[in-house]
Amino acid sequence: MIAPERSRFSDHFRLLQPLLESVGPAWLHSMRARSIDEFEAVGIPTTRDEEFKYLPLNDLRDTEWVPAHGAVLSRSEIACLTLGKLDAITLTFVNGEFAPELSTDDLLPEGVAVLPFETAFETMPLVFEKWMGKVATTAQKLGSTNDDRFIVLNTAFCQDGAFVFIPRRVKLDRPIHLQFVSDGSHGPVAVHPRVLVVLEDEASAEIMESYVGIAGKTFVNPVTEVVIGKNAQLEHTRYQDETLESIHIGNLAIDQSADSTYNSVVGQFGSATARLDLNVWVGGSNAETWLNGASIGRGSQKIDNHTRIDHREPHCQSFEVYKTILDDEAQGVFNGKIFVYQDAQKTDAKQTNQGLLLSPRAQFDTKPQLEIFADDVKCTHGATVGQLRKDALFYLRARGVPKKEAEGLLVYAFAAEVFEKISNEAVREALEARLFEKLA
Amino acid sequence: MLNITNLHAKIDEKEILKGINLQVNAGEVHAIMGPNGSGKSTLASILAGKSDYEVTEGSVTFEGEDLLELDPEERAAEGLFLAFQYPVEIPGVTNTYFLRTALNNIRKHRGLPELTMSEFTKHIKSKVEMMELPASLLSRSVNEGFSGGEKKRNEIFQMAVLEPKLCVLDETDSGLDIDALKIVSGGVNALRSPERAVLLITHYQRLLDYIKPDFVHVLMGGRIVKSGGAELALDLEANGYANIEEEFAVAA
Repeated sequence: MIAPERSRFSDHFRLLQPLLESVGPAWLHSMRARSIDEFEAVGIPTTRDEEFKYLPLNDLRDTEWVPAHGAVLSRSEIACLTLGKLDAITLTFVNGEFAPELSTDDLLPEGVAVLPFETAFETMPLVFEKWMGKVATTAQKLGSTNDDRFIVLNTAFCQDGAFVFIPRRVKLDRPIHLQFVSDGSHGPVAVHPRVLVVLEDEASAEIMESYVGIAGKTFVNPVTEVVIGKNAQLEHTRYQDETLESIHIGNLAIDQSADSTYNSVVGQFGSATARLDLNVWVGGSNAETWLNGASIGRGSQKIDNHTRIDHREPHCQSFEVYKTILDDEAQGVFNGKIFVYQDAQKTDAKQTNQGLLLSPRAQFDTKPQLEIFADDVKCTHGATVGQLRKDALFYLRARGVPKKEAEGLLVYAFAAEVFEKISNEAVREALEARLFEKLA
Repeated sequence: MLNITNLHAKIDEKEILKGINLQVNAGEVHAIMGPNGSGKSTLASILAGKSDYEVTEGSVTFEGEDLLELDPEERAAEGLFLAFQYPVEIPGVTNTYFLRTALNNIRKHRGLPELTMSEFTKHIKSKVEMMELPASLLSRSVNEGFSGGEKKRNEIFQMAVLEPKLCVLDETDSGLDIDALKIVSGGVNALRSPERAVLLITHYQRLLDYIKPDFVHVLMGGRIVKSGGAELALDLEANGYANIEEEFAVAA
């Protein structure tokens, strides 16, 4: 067997290692070194790798990426972004680097921390050590094709990032916006943003996470780890709108405790190739998980959503609705895994996945994947791929709405239904407006 | 207003309408009654412009214009309204947005200025009250999660807002309890005027206790086999369709 050729990212790592080791605790340095080796052992996946079967990554392999090292953007450039003017506790990162001048400096309730890693490494080292890399991993979990290679690639480059800590019983009213802006206008850059969110027992918060591109070509490989304590509640919106040349490969991992609620809305608009793995580990009983996603691909965009829910404990509920609109030659993928472990009796899991094809050349591959090891559960899944509903189209036209407008309205509504789940009105309206613009 | 002459239509090679003749003038209320499968709903769908049916013979004119040549949205703009037997649920489109879009398109067609949100709100206020629609139904997605009665009330509400010239009601009474039936009928009666015509398609006589028709037609086997005044409906209620079927010996 020939050892795989080491990728460009190994060179990046050698180049950056001294810089990376100037930040963070010692355990993180060895974790990084371990991670780059782990990544290189498997390398950039091909379509022969099961988890990337429908997502060719030749462009990721062939592009001469350089490591990102910040960029200067003005407030007015940020204000033009879809969520750029959102009234929230905001941390902005430009090409992976914290940009204090584009962030807010709020007075937070006692114990609450919304900080860049560099500060948080100093003030809350134990929280980091406890959770970093522990949530975003499928090691020791069910499944025969578990693939964490982009998580470890991110870990290898972990330097700056966003840290959120909500202590026990604190209900944070003001939303948090973690904004990652990428700018490839001086050549293709690779960015590996990292987020760690910890909600202690009975805490509640609302977090927006956005990944937006300004110009040029970027490879953005973010990893977000979210810990939700007992009876805690998190509403989480993740919005991706990188430039149409870019590659976005994201991982979002959640660890839910008993009686907690996790409410997620994912919006995928941008990137030439966009992939998100959203993995929820439900490690306590009586927890609720809501996953909603809407993706829109046009031109030759490829959009791939993988979700995974591990029902480890009994009496939990999960509801999942993922929708994808594909026009032109766009390609979409959905893979929805639900694992119900042997002890997870009385699990109630419902998964719905719909693809809407607006062009005969658009393509959608969908694969619900339920593996159930408990015997007293209620699990359903439904996947549909199709065109606009004829009955709805006729109904609108019979009321006087012209055909083209009626079609536009139905396409919009197909995805808007997902964004309706966002309780923050400003965010909901901004995403709906962006959707409208994207479809125009 | 509406002239249907020798209308034949089929779906999937099955002939459903076998020569319908009907004239409806402004100000009149016509009821079309008939057993299941007689072609009532097919007639309503063809008038509204549903493309599943193929008209093989005959003609339909609406105010002198060839109705069958028009797209469904053009028919609506010209003043034809179909209250659906099964109103369609459209998740993601709010009732208000939908109705304002419809109204403004119709107004545009008629050379009237579009209504702003506040003008629209004013326009619908009395109609919302008349149909006893809870305000929450307006901001919800079109018909989604509405009860059967709410869906039918919403149809008549839309009709009141769009102010059509010809109202076609396809089994609007089916599945309604007596209270909802009264509200629906009240809405239709409020719309009666010398300029407007109503075509009620129904299986049951019950609706006609509340909306008194000028003419009643019996549709059977794809043809109108008998026409008369309001008393014909009472006769049908008492004796059923079987007698007429025998009388005219129409094959179903």
